[in-house]
Amino acid sequence: MTAPRPSDAELHAFVDGQASAAQRAAVQSHLAADPEDAARVAAWQAQRDALRAAFAELADEDLPARLTLAAVLQERRRRPHVAWSAIAAAAVLAFGIGGAGGWMLRGRTEAPAGMRALAREAMANHAVYAADRRRPTELGADQRDDLARWVSNRMNHTVAPPDLSAEGFQFMGGRLAATAQGPAGMFMYQNAAGMRMTVFVQPDPNARSSGPMTITGPSLDSCVWSDRGMSTAVVAPMPADKLRALAEQVRRALES
Amino acid sequence: MTPPEMDQGVLGRIEASLPALRRYAIALLRNRDDADDLVHDCVVRALDKLHTRRDDADVRAWLFTIMHNLFVSQLRRKRVRPVAEPLEERHEDAHAAEAGQDGPLRWRDLMRALAQLPEEQRSVLLLVSVEDLSYAETATVLDVPIGTVMSRLSRARERLRQLTDGERPPLRRVK
Repeated sequence: MTAPRPSDAELHAFVDGQASAAQRAAVQSHLAADPEDAARVAAWQAQRDALRAAFAELADEDLPARLTLAAVLQERRRRPHVAWSAIAAAAVLAFGIGGAGGWMLRGRTEAPAGMRALAREAMANHAVYAADRRRPTELGADQRDDLARWVSNRMNHTVAPPDLSAEGFQFMGGRLAATAQGPAGMFMYQNAAGMRMTVFVQPDPNARSSGPMTITGPSLDSCVWSDRGMSTAVVAPMPADKLRALAEQVRRALES
Repeated sequence: MTPPEMDQGVLGRIEASLPALRRYAIALLRNRDDADDLVHDCVVRALDKLHTRRDDADVRAWLFTIMHNLFVSQLRRKRVRPVAEPLEERHEDAHAAEAGQDGPLRWRDLMRALAQLPEEQRSVLLLVSVEDLSYAETATVLDVPIGTVMSRLSRARERLRQLTDGERPPLRRVK
């Protein structure tokens, strides 16, 4: 009894190693009896080997620097710079930023312009990212060290996300944020009630050390202070006095 | 808590696929700068779409699919064709020396023949032969039925066989 001649598809599958064991056996016995098909298959096999050899070294080349995954990820992280207008638009919606109105300083002394700017950026970023259910952070809590390194490198200032679990806030992760003053680090936390709080840090070599000040936006407060060349803003949707107390804890945690 | 795009499993697989993606891009476009742009766009697109993936399976085929779609829309948009020249002739001598001039297929002949294949046949041949994609994966990448993959593969191999058959004189043009 003669086995049916294998189809061309089966012959190709044989060449490409995609045939089942049964197909393979059938093809082999067919080729043993059919010199013409055997020649075709041998030619395909030779082509395949030659192509693989010809292209093998292309995959051994070092990738150009801009094509490494690290470079593309880094580039994506810088996107907030590009998407600044979107953040600004969100800030306008959330806080009425845009005019001089909508901002007032709580307390006797006027906060330095740099601190007000930082608070503004912190609140704008909080509005955009804390509200994002799907991707509030770029790097998660399990990448705390990567995040610290990334932010520190970009700001040229060593900083690490403080541990605020004693305050009931679990670290979620963070990202590099874009501000008019340059890169800033944003660390996000969440408490058991699902309230999100952000700690926004930015080096400011000119800032004098100053105690926490509350800066009020239309719908959200921020507590800001400067210490040793680093300014920090804490933003959370909570009453000003509670935010102030929390800010004191954040300041202590950052110092430790 | 970790955003999906930071999943090390997927990222690791993407990273591992980059050299092969770039190789395929170079083979498609036969121009390294264009190929690098294509790979770059492909990775950016993949990272954008990462959160739509439910699992880590088939990252390689998924990346090739993204790249192929970018390639096709590039062709449509720019209305340009990849240069119809063999890849990297300047390396020819080195290859010839390595492979030995009397091998069954000389590198130069092979590249010339490959350049003469229609685009659709070349894609199938490269994805299957060089990139080790299964026929089913190749069908997904190119968005064609698997039967089409098989017939293109068959035509590509037969055409390549004719083109590289040293014994046969080149077809004469009728004047």
